[in-house]
Amino acid sequence: MLNKKTKYLQIAFNRSFDEVREMIALLPASDKIIIEAGTPFIKRYGTRGISAIKEWWNAKIQKPGYIVADLKCMDRGLREVREVASAGASAATCLGLAPIDTINEFIKECQSSGIDSMVDMMNVEFPFEVLQKLKHLPGVVVLHRGVDENNTNKSKQLPHNQIHRIGGTYGNVLISVAGGETPRDVVRTFFNDADIAVVWRSFYESPDKTAELAKDFLKLVK
Amino acid sequence: MTDQNTKQSQKYIFIVIAVIIAFIINPILGFVAIWLLAMFSGIRKTKFNSFKSPMSFIDILKTVQNLSANQKQVQIDDEEGGVPSIDVQEQINQLLIAPTNKLLPSPITVLGFAKKLEKKKKYLHIALNSTLQEAQEIISQLPASERILIEAGTPLIKIYGASAVSEIKSMAPGAYIVADNKCADLAAREVEIMANAGASAATCLGVAPVETIDSFIEECKKFGIDSMLDMMNVDNALMVLKKLKNPPDVVMLHRGVDETEFSKEKQIPYYQIKQIKGSYDILVAVAGGDTIKEVQRAFFNDADIVVVWKNFYQPNSQTALLAKEFLKEIE
Repeated sequence: MLNKKTKYLQIAFNRSFDEVREMIALLPASDKIIIEAGTPFIKRYGTRGISAIKEWWNAKIQKPGYIVADLKCMDRGLREVREVASAGASAATCLGLAPIDTINEFIKECQSSGIDSMVDMMNVEFPFEVLQKLKHLPGVVVLHRGVDENNTNKSKQLPHNQIHRIGGTYGNVLISVAGGETPRDVVRTFFNDADIAVVWRSFYESPDKTAELAKDFLKLVK
Repeated sequence: MTDQNTKQSQKYIFIVIAVIIAFIINPILGFVAIWLLAMFSGIRKTKFNSFKSPMSFIDILKTVQNLSANQKQVQIDDEEGGVPSIDVQEQINQLLIAPTNKLLPSPITVLGFAKKLEKKKKYLHIALNSTLQEAQEIISQLPASERILIEAGTPLIKIYGASAVSEIKSMAPGAYIVADNKCADLAAREVEIMANAGASAATCLGVAPVETIDSFIEECKKFGIDSMLDMMNVDNALMVLKKLKNPPDVVMLHRGVDETEFSKEKQIPYYQIKQIKGSYDILVAVAGGDTIKEVQRAFFNDADIVVVWKNFYQPNSQTALLAKEFLKEIE
């Protein structure tokens, strides 16, 4: 489980099986790094991919590592949660865009499967309103903009202003901010009180620099 | 063998002459002839593939997956270094063809070959959500018809990966397979994965960012598969369609805005079907046909496709029965 007082760096992996294995082997061994099995990765390799990542990362840091399965549940999440939990995931994600019933059931299922629930607020205009409607709070709220929308329209900012609003009202919820691409973005993310900074693009685009990138980023995580 | 070859070449010469004559008579007729020819060869190809396609091979699934992963790696190496990948390809081919001899007890259902969906035809879309084993059981009970679309459900894709799609395709060779990947972001990558696994259509969420949906539809065109837009939790489907650069091939409507597996009492927004079809020349699919009555009602209200979910607590025979009743109905 995640500690509220620590800052974490979450690295999302979306490349092919062998490339991900190599990249994970290059990462510095630190329990402040969270490994994410990206949505395309899961849709390509299934739960087998998650177990493999778990195994590689455990071997690397010599203790149980923290793996996020980016399921992006929209409906019928219950089975998916159970399956990824038994494949070794430590957390799963659900879309904030999903029907409220689905999110409620998702959070409940995560609790009973013993994993953290993350609600992904992509394309949700007012994440706050979604949280208000829920029966139970998720473990983590993920704030970000979609990759595709960012590619087309770079002018919009990461939703840093939301962090304080959510953090102030729901003290126990961890806040994860995705979309940072440079060490500067990560610094800004943590400066704005986020608990987890999610990076992926730099790793996706230059897997050969995985080790350097991770070390650079890790320096920023206190 | 040579006899067959001469027969083949004679046929081609005949076709070429026919096309030339058609052009001489009327250029438009010529183009029509070429188009017909292309259609014909497309059908022949799927027919051929369907016979070559293997049975279920769950036991060697992992090996094949590893091999294809290796093959992809090798291909990447190829581009960089130039290592031949023939060995791996051969191994895969052998593995794919070999299990046809070890037939499973259930007879194989060769479903029709609806390569692209046609307007004005009604389709039954069966969503398989539980396990691959059960998918095999249901598929073997389904009547052979090109009016039946088979969906690899989201849980199957997330649990088995893209191999869920290729597995189901191998269970129902030649059938129209929908990969319900429910894309929310990174559309280009997901469409590529699903198309490569052999899907005839992929799905994208209507609640996803407009940029994602646009890119999804574009990528589907590029890969030659149908794009389906799932309007789950969307207030007004028409509003989403209006924002897009190009409309998708199929729009999928759900009961009520927040339909889930937990709230089944809601009504399907039938009025939206006419609204959408009035503005766009696209197919409309309606989710939630649990009984033949519901299926009839959906078609009566102008739906083109009715989606039936096969949940794992329902008996398999129920789904097969519904499919048979449906076929009787549309005859």
